[in-house]
Amino acid sequence: MKIYTGSGDRGKTSLFSGERVPKDNERIEAYGDLDELNSVIGALIAALPRDWPDLHQDLQKIQSDLFHIGAWLATSPGAPAAESLAPLDLDGAAALERLIDRLDAALPPLTGFILPGGGPPAAWAHVARTVCRRAERRVVRLSADPLPPASAAQLSRAIVYLNRLSDCLFVLARHINRRQGIEDSLWKP
Amino acid sequence: MEAVSPTSSDPEAGNLFNTRIIARRRLSSKTVELALRKPPGFAFAPGQRVRLKLGPAARDYSIASAPADEAIRLCIREVEGGFLSPQLAGAPESAALTFTGPHGYFTFKASPRPAVFVATGTGVAPFHSMAASGVSGFTLLHGVEQAEDLYYLDFLQSRAAAYVACLSGTSPAPVAHHAGRVTGYIENHLPRRACDFYLCGRQDMIRDVTLLIDEGFQGSLVYSEAFY
Repeated sequence: MKIYTGSGDRGKTSLFSGERVPKDNERIEAYGDLDELNSVIGALIAALPRDWPDLHQDLQKIQSDLFHIGAWLATSPGAPAAESLAPLDLDGAAALERLIDRLDAALPPLTGFILPGGGPPAAWAHVARTVCRRAERRVVRLSADPLPPASAAQLSRAIVYLNRLSDCLFVLARHINRRQGIEDSLWKP
Repeated sequence: MEAVSPTSSDPEAGNLFNTRIIARRRLSSKTVELALRKPPGFAFAPGQRVRLKLGPAARDYSIASAPADEAIRLCIREVEGGFLSPQLAGAPESAALTFTGPHGYFTFKASPRPAVFVATGTGVAPFHSMAASGVSGFTLLHGVEQAEDLYYLDFLQSRAAAYVACLSGTSPAPVAHHAGRVTGYIENHLPRRACDFYLCGRQDMIRDVTLLIDEGFQGSLVYSEAFY
């Protein structure tokens, strides 16, 4: 199977809903950032110790959620193609909150700003966190346009999910460092 | 049709079903239509695919029949040197098979714009499924090399507002046709207006037609299903 089709060689691509749009279209930018986030999370998973199946599983669930959100971002508001997409799961953000609470319970309280870094997997978690915030900003921008209620509801869920995911990735970075015996590096102004 | 497998972005893993071949019909010298027993609990939308598994191999095939039909009908083009298609084409009736599905989103979407279906070879299968499910009034361009590969011609003609056989070979044709590829017909004969294009077939056809749409059919939508 060839991976290339060539139909985008002149700078256009197709949305899931069928429209041909320039590759710098705001929807392409949004799901492109989501794709980048997903890839960074993949790098994070690859950097995790193999004998941490709990986090492997949690992060792969997040990767799957991001694909689902990406499909919605690739669909124009009100397009017939939206009917073939499952609505975004309201429990997705709640599941992230449960994960945050589980990870945060064993962490010492924050006493200042933390310098992003530590061990390789924690550093990837910080990179993922910042890409997540960029993706969130893109989706917020999309939601600023007048939208049919059904599409607006999906974007709202995506924004809540990404907001929670960014927090989750921050806590995850601290959790990973602590689990690997690496202390937080506090910012010293 | 034998389609490219969806990427990992396909959120539907599909359920695993067991089935048997209940009939075989030759559509042309290189293509057979297999009828599979429809397993209980299997439902699909016209235009979707199943992923047939045979040993280590798995290939996607668009369903040619309608959801209401008793059997699942697939068009199998025997790929020379292929692993799965020759085995499927030669499999005895009652042979057991497994598949997952349904897969894909290549389904018909109601629209105020005219629908233009463009197929090469067995890529006509999903359009047959749509037509057998009640979709009509579309324009269908069916590109084949030999006239014998104009599968389902009578039925599709009866449901289409316009049916155009595009023959790139030199065999005598049973119907009025466009001599050449579907791209030539689109470029020179298809009225320039916003349409909903549905493309199913070889990747090079999908690329070439998509670029023509970008150039001459502003405001159109493009849904595509590529196979190799």
